[in-house]
Amino acid sequence: MAGVSRKIVRCHTTGLTGLKVIKEPHEMLKVLYEKTLIALNKIPPTAAYRVNTEQIVRNRMQHVLTERDVQVLEEKIDGGQIEEVILQAQRELALARKMIEWKPWEPLVAQAPKNQWKWPI
Amino acid sequence: MASKFCRLLRPVVANFKRTRFLQQATVATQLCRNNTQSTGTTTEKRPTIRAPDTLMRKTLSEFGQYVAENLPKYVQQVQITNGDELDIMIHPDGILPVMSFLKDHHSCQFLNIVDLTAVDVPTRQYRFEIVYMLMSLKYNSRIKVKTYTDELTPIESVCSVFAGANWYEREIWDMFGVFFANHPDLRRILTDYGFEGHPFRKDFPLAGYVEVRYDDEAKRVVVEPLELAQEFRKFECSSPWETFPKYRQITDAEEVPINKEANKPQEKK
Repeated sequence: MAGVSRKIVRCHTTGLTGLKVIKEPHEMLKVLYEKTLIALNKIPPTAAYRVNTEQIVRNRMQHVLTERDVQVLEEKIDGGQIEEVILQAQRELALARKMIEWKPWEPLVAQAPKNQWKWPI
Repeated sequence: MASKFCRLLRPVVANFKRTRFLQQATVATQLCRNNTQSTGTTTEKRPTIRAPDTLMRKTLSEFGQYVAENLPKYVQQVQITNGDELDIMIHPDGILPVMSFLKDHHSCQFLNIVDLTAVDVPTRQYRFEIVYMLMSLKYNSRIKVKTYTDELTPIESVCSVFAGANWYEREIWDMFGVFFANHPDLRRILTDYGFEGHPFRKDFPLAGYVEVRYDDEAKRVVVEPLELAQEFRKFECSSPWETFPKYRQITDAEEVPINKEANKPQEKK
């Protein structure tokens, strides 16, 4: 009963300020995840960022492709409401594109000077 | 006559009984206390000291290793403080990548900037330590990111990642004189118009350089250089009593080992 009423409410609002209900979340998520995977392909395959992110994105993509019901999908992804999941995907896509320029998988730029992190001195 | 005698004697007898009973009772409680002490020595309970949360420390150290593994170019050290807080020490070049990663990555989502501040340690080569405190509502956790700079080296502004850092960076610029590159509007925020110097630096005198007073002849507030020389002022700041003797010795924060071989391409056999 509670689930049904929540579903009816969910059709109109997410309950979060400024976050509108999206009618076709599957299409949007699929496009975002595909773009993220394309961006990740430009990163060397041994980079930990690529390995970890690919694992997360592929896992979510799998759920999006197999599950049609939005509520069950939300439970399976476990990242909050589907609109929040879309926001997360957008952020990850922007990050992956920036990471290609930053190259954070390279070795350490420079060690800190001696006693820089020693506390109390 | 006999009844009178009885009436006299009754309270004495009653009193005697009561004291005997009380003595027994006190002995019983003493015994109890001794018993509890003998068993209590094995499990020491110190309610004034916070119990260490081992599970929390484990998850935090794992997350610290995850961050270090993903950004080996910038993370210099990861540690967990005594209060179970995760610190990520990074090179100043990597401030934007690290903050973006912590904000945008799926398993971090530190979307809120709680505070941004600086610490001045003049004996170090890079005297200012910049501390960023972030919070993740999604995972209910907090993190500290630390980096370093000196008076002349500008540090990259994080306003493009966290809009809320704008005023914090102005505050650090005002109080410490750390310059933030690419800040949209780097002005003084706390000190008065025409103020000179950065008051939170350790070499800034406690009484300041100028004094402000109302001049009755000029009919306005005048600003004059301070006449009292610093060498004649003695401030005794230390208390003669030890306030927290238990906490006199601070133990160092625990360092989390970082896997440095994670991102290297595997050798073909």
